[in-house]
Amino acid sequence: MKRTYLGEFEEIVLLTVAVLEGQAYGVALTHEIIEQTGRSVRLNQIHAALQRLEDKGMVKSEMGEPTAERGGRRKRLFTVTAYGRRTLQEIQEVRVSLWSRLVNPFKPVTSL
Amino acid sequence: MKPRNIEPPRLADRLLEWFVAPHRLESLQGDLHEEFAYQVQRIGEQRAKWRYWQDVLGFIRPSFAIKRDASVNQYLSPALANPAMIRNYFRTAWRNLAKNKFYSFINISGLTIGLAVGILILLWVQDELSFDRFHTQSSSIYRLENWAGTGSSRQIWTTTVAPIAGFAKRETPEVKDAVRLAGNYAYTLFKYKGKTINENKTFFTDPALFSVFDFKLIQGNPAKPFSDDHSIVLTETTAKRYFGNENPVGKVLAANDNTTFTVSGIVRDFPKNSSIKGDMFLPISLFFRNLYEGNKDGKNKDNDFSQFRYETYLLLQPNTSVASLATKLRTIHLRNKPDDTDLTYLLQALPDMHLYKADGTEGGIETVRMFSIIALLILAIACINYVNLSTARSLLRSKEVSMRKIVGAARSQLFVQFLVETTLLFSLAAALALGLLYALLPLYNQLSGKELALNFGDYQIWQIIGLTIIGTLAASSIYPAILLSSFEPLKALKGKVSARLSEASFRKVLVVVQFAVSVILIAGTFIINNQLQYIRSKELGYDKTHVFAFFMRDMGKHYDAVKADLLNQPGVAAVTRAGGNIVQLGGQTGDNEWDGKEQGETMMMHTVAIDKDFIPFFNMKLQHGANFTGAVADSLHFILNETAVKAARLENPIGKRFRLWKHNGTIIGVVKDFHFASMKQKIEPAIFYYEPRDLGAIYIKTTGKEAEHAIASAQKSWKQYNADFPFEFSFLDDVFTNLYKTEQQTGLLFTIFSSIAILISCLGLFGLAAYTAQVRTREIGVRKVLGASVTSVIQLLAKDFIQLVLIAIVIAVPLAWWAMSVWLEDFAYRIDIEWWMFAIAGLLALAIALLTVSFQSIKAALMNPVRSLRSE
Repeated sequence: MKRTYLGEFEEIVLLTVAVLEGQAYGVALTHEIIEQTGRSVRLNQIHAALQRLEDKGMVKSEMGEPTAERGGRRKRLFTVTAYGRRTLQEIQEVRVSLWSRLVNPFKPVTSL
Repeated sequence: MKPRNIEPPRLADRLLEWFVAPHRLESLQGDLHEEFAYQVQRIGEQRAKWRYWQDVLGFIRPSFAIKRDASVNQYLSPALANPAMIRNYFRTAWRNLAKNKFYSFINISGLTIGLAVGILILLWVQDELSFDRFHTQSSSIYRLENWAGTGSSRQIWTTTVAPIAGFAKRETPEVKDAVRLAGNYAYTLFKYKGKTINENKTFFTDPALFSVFDFKLIQGNPAKPFSDDHSIVLTETTAKRYFGNENPVGKVLAANDNTTFTVSGIVRDFPKNSSIKGDMFLPISLFFRNLYEGNKDGKNKDNDFSQFRYETYLLLQPNTSVASLATKLRTIHLRNKPDDTDLTYLLQALPDMHLYKADGTEGGIETVRMFSIIALLILAIACINYVNLSTARSLLRSKEVSMRKIVGAARSQLFVQFLVETTLLFSLAAALALGLLYALLPLYNQLSGKELALNFGDYQIWQIIGLTIIGTLAASSIYPAILLSSFEPLKALKGKVSARLSEASFRKVLVVVQFAVSVILIAGTFIINNQLQYIRSKELGYDKTHVFAFFMRDMGKHYDAVKADLLNQPGVAAVTRAGGNIVQLGGQTGDNEWDGKEQGETMMMHTVAIDKDFIPFFNMKLQHGANFTGAVADSLHFILNETAVKAARLENPIGKRFRLWKHNGTIIGVVKDFHFASMKQKIEPAIFYYEPRDLGAIYIKTTGKEAEHAIASAQKSWKQYNADFPFEFSFLDDVFTNLYKTEQQTGLLFTIFSSIAILISCLGLFGLAAYTAQVRTREIGVRKVLGASVTSVIQLLAKDFIQLVLIAIVIAVPLAWWAMSVWLEDFAYRIDIEWWMFAIAGLLALAIALLTVSFQSIKAALMNPVRSLRSE
């Protein structure tokens, strides 16, 4: 497969950007990821990942509205590009096909 | 109520604003502030602020600092790390050094000398500090000491009684082990197969010496180093002296009285930085056997609490209270010898032995501190030179900087460029300094009495060299680099940059600091040398010129014949004998009594047996009474020194009863005080007594010119009675000089170091003066055309610098005064600090500065104005 390599964390960030649909910016992404994955994620990690994703052309960004708690500073809102969406889909397809070929799917832990 | 508006930490914000690329800043900072507001709600203000800091520091990474989005401008790669750019940094740096040969020379030579000397001093300091720390258990080893005596004669002994070590091991759980060392005076000559060597570093010791300390046995059984009382342990070098390359273990050495010793172990040579050193070790049980066997008074090694002659080291459990252990030991001592009420015990940590005095007050550590400060000062002066020269000359380079900026250089790139320049210059200086270091080391060892070696396998040496160079580099490169990269291009190109006041005044402050340091060092040198001169020339109270002395051994039995014979020889002016060395009297006792002595009072006094012609021989003055006559009755007669009379509060001492040891006698004379110890000590009580049996040392006064003859005659006489022993004598003048060896060394090193510090400051000043003259060439030209005289031009140029030096003097004098009073306090007899000493130091500094500056000024003033005005 000839697509750009996407790290696991980048994938999560990219997915979350997609989930938040136009409302994705640093703080919102951080909180959403903390909530969904339970990891302790810090702002700088999110921003670094977003920068990498933007370099790879999977997200694009534009400046949003300022708010009071930001001291009147604007947000940078991220959206997934078509390339990004396709990459996510490809990853998903690879996973699904691999899972379907699993002869003996793992049983839930509780059944042990 | 509206909640208080809590702001995130200002400093963190500033850091972020400074670091992060502008196009990212707004959204990043917005996110951070929003997150902060959220965290304040969640975990409170304090922790939110803390988190904010963490978050900001998380953004301090290169990827956030890069100026433009890579997607927008894909041609600009990170310029700082680009190989072409790096090559360029080195190329420009090299060109700059080569172009300004004069300034490069001044900078490099100043730095080279500063670094080399700084490192030399720090190596010395490190060596001093490393003393006795190489033992794995050094932090739990203590030396046992005693305070004895009362009142002004209270003193400290570093040797103690023999049994206390055993009692301590048995009765105090804090003490794990104990080692005793006793000097050996019984066996001095050792023979092996016709080789006879005089050994004077032999000790009796406990076997634990080799397990408590890290003195490792190379051969022999560490658990039982002495197999019996006639075993001996040698150091490697000592063994080589006797046995060459043969295996020494099992070989037999014969001592002078035909006692034989079998070598049972070989110990590695003692490290140079060990306070405990010896060549040969005998079992202490032999010492006790010799001392107590056949003794009728019932004293033995376990109950003799009166012989204070054993250096005793205790190995303690960790976290022992030293003070309470000392109290316990005193209790044990008093239980065994109740009349020693004036005695207390104290312990000194092994690593402190070298640098602190026995009572724990500062000893050599003062010199160590003084030298560390001098090292730092020299390095600081060298740094200041560099900073001053490069910032001053930066003005000349402002155009270059501006051009670079206009063409597109970022500030960080310029910063790196100047950093590379400094580093290059420093590498050159550091390489030269290492070479210089290597060349100077033998000379330095000779001056300082050390045996330092540049052993490049030793990481500590690298640590010192590395830290010194890096520290100096950091101190002197950052400010000029910041300053140079900060020029604003438009102003600089218009030529407005030189008017910035703050830089010039910063430079002035540095020059003042440099010269203040120089003045302090000059004054210090001056006062130290004056004091050393003073102690050497102070009236001692006796005449020691042309006198040499030695212990007679078997000659003593034939003293009268020897004396008669010697007096007939050419070159011999007079002969006398005494019980000890007059330059440095040893033995003391408190076993004395007189009418009026109070209950519990102890007066420690130095005791010397002297012959009847001793006092006239040394030209001592009897204040009262008479000298010994040599009659039998003299064995109950005493002569005291003035201090002893004062300490005993005796009025009209002549004829008063006085008891020394078991001799109940009378005082027949009082001798004028004389110095029998280093000038660091006050004169202490001393007593002369007459006991021909104790007169082991012979003093021979030569006529001076024919000293050679006198020595030869003495040697002939020595050979006659002591055929086996080497003839060793010393002139009292040499013994006296030796008393002040460390002070002399310190004084000499101080003088050298201050001269170097001054030299480096002058180099810097010379450079600055040259620069000033260069910048003002055209001004001087115009002035001369308009009729200014050469003198007025010189004045104009020198005035600024002289002002600075004057300020430096004003600052330096009180500091120097304070520092030198502290140093002088160490001497019981010292010079007074006078104002003229500082006046001379100040004038000297001024003269040196003037000389340095005027060379450049005169050159500038004499220049033909036509030339300087036509130069542009």
